[in-house]
Amino acid sequence: MNVGRIIGTAVVGFLFLLFVALDLVLFGVLALNSVMVTVLPLLGLLAGGALGALVGKRRAAG
Amino acid sequence: MNATRWVVVGALFGLLVVGGAPAATAELEGTNGCQASGAFREGGFTVDARAVGDALVVVPRSDTVDWQGSVAAPPGAYSGSISVELPKPFGTLEIDSWAGNSQTMSNAGTHEYDLPSLVPAGVEFTVSGSHVDQNGTCSGSVRMEVEGGPFDSPLTAVSLVGTAATGAGLLALLRPLLRPVGKVM
Repeated sequence: MNVGRIIGTAVVGFLFLLFVALDLVLFGVLALNSVMVTVLPLLGLLAGGALGALVGKRRAAG
Repeated sequence: MNATRWVVVGALFGLLVVGGAPAATAELEGTNGCQASGAFREGGFTVDARAVGDALVVVPRSDTVDWQGSVAAPPGAYSGSISVELPKPFGTLEIDSWAGNSQTMSNAGTHEYDLPSLVPAGVEFTVSGSHVDQNGTCSGSVRMEVEGGPFDSPLTAVSLVGTAATGAGLLALLRPLLRPVGKVM
């Protein structure tokens, strides 16, 4: 298991959904005090980490 | 697209709809007979804290406001604050506060404001306030938005570039998942 890849993908996933949340606020889709503004980046962190682990498995299988 | 992907996309959409739902009705509540209003000169409208309900108040980027507030009895020692509500669990950002000791039951004034371009337009935010004096408490909130579109603020361009850059980075990191097994470099 490549821990570096998992952490890297989690951080990039966090930043990606943080910017998506910011876009949604700036375009008026979400209110500034919406809980989604907090949830989306955390979701990105978890999903990024999980996908990073999958990439590691796929590489090992290849 | 396989079933798992549909479930993930559906869950995300559901979260967005539920999480994006407007806040509960805003109103002025209190036990000290409080009342407040502000007349926006350029905007040509008046906001009455008791009557605004859950209406979204769209304010100009710059204007002059004639404001007034009152309580039903001499307040004595008093304090209060006004804040912008941030995403949960970050609480509120205080933008003004007051405190003192007075027997005056009402106050009024004029305030001129000019919001910098960095403040995004078209973004709904909730402003909440509270006031405590010797006769009781008063609190309320109002949903507000600065007049204009998303590209009135440079923050939007910065955010879009950030989304594109991190999205590209994420795709690059996940590229091995998009290739058939056996062709991973």
